[in-house]
Amino acid sequence: MISRAKLGDIDAFTAIVDAYYSRCLRFARAMLLNVDDAEDMVQDTFVRLYRALPRYEERQRFESWLFQILGNCCRTANTAFRRHSAQTVDDAFALERVASPDVTGARLDHEWGDAVRKALADVPEYNREIFLLHYIEEFSYDEIERMTGVKQSALKMRVKRASDFLRARLSQEHG
Amino acid sequence: MSGIDDDPLLRRALEELRRLPATDPEAVRRVVGVAAEARVSPADEPVADRSSSGARSMRRWTAVSVAAAAAIVGFVARGVWLPGAGPVRTENVASPSVAAAAPMVKASAGGAIVALPQQFVLENSAAHRISVVGDFNKWNAASAPMTRAAEGGLWSTVIPILPGRHVYGFMIDDSLFTLDPRAPKARDPDLGTDGSVVIVGRP
Repeated sequence: MISRAKLGDIDAFTAIVDAYYSRCLRFARAMLLNVDDAEDMVQDTFVRLYRALPRYEERQRFESWLFQILGNCCRTANTAFRRHSAQTVDDAFALERVASPDVTGARLDHEWGDAVRKALADVPEYNREIFLLHYIEEFSYDEIERMTGVKQSALKMRVKRASDFLRARLSQEHG
Repeated sequence: MSGIDDDPLLRRALEELRRLPATDPEAVRRVVGVAAEARVSPADEPVADRSSSGARSMRRWTAVSVAAAAAIVGFVARGVWLPGAGPVRTENVASPSVAAAAPMVKASAGGAIVALPQQFVLENSAAHRISVVGDFNKWNAASAPMTRAAEGGLWSTVIPILPGRHVYGFMIDDSLFTLDPRAPKARDPDLGTDGSVVIVGRP
């Protein structure tokens, strides 16, 4: 499939987008300061990926490459957002930023979901990204080291800090 | 290490974060459409008069002229004669064959922008097909196929490129991306993949 897309086969590329779109959207929503940018960022990621497919080396895992591009896009977008947004983030924006995705469920589930996303949004970006890659997208530390160039010991520390932060925050509110 | 499996609260949080949003088929179609449009080769754009004598003269290049141009390129680029013709890349080659392909002009609102012919040469005797791919042709492997000399493994092509800094590489047999060993390398911060760098024209 990837080999076909690499040669410009648009049907093969469509299948790839279809397969990965929701995972990318989930990651972008959790990573971005402005969650409204998530769909645009996923689109931008696939545009870059398609353009760069000829350069894709198949010894590298495709998923790692995709999330490497997506992570870079999200970090760049966050930097731009910080630069251009107001000095402070008011409560209304914070609530909007952590709004639940389009999942169904009881009101309590929504409250819990919003609390989790709000807590995650307060985890520093460099810890949040690694936490998401490892625990949500289920990349091994080996893979994340190859993707980010950060040593495994540092990666594990970042994940631990993110976990500790989430545990402390959620214990306060829902423990 | 984080003990997340032993912590019911964090396990519940992970379950929440792992929920996948629904895939909107319309969004997928939109993404594919934008990506496909972005990858269209500039060869399809109204750059110069590609059906003119310049383009035709490139297609008419003989194997002999390719090899001869490559040798001249080696001489011009490094000021020395290098027998055996390793991979070579040059700027604005002034050989007669190349001169026939240039200059090309792209109309723009601010005036004419001249695309300068750029020759790319690579030695590879095992390849069946080689193309130049770069930001100037949106990494389209079909855009700039190289021509192999009748003898040996010397591949060459000339592409009109707008002035500026460009990142490129060679696509071998539609599957292997390789850099130009004689060009400087640049790290692509978005894609994490190295590319070769060429500066076209004067800054």
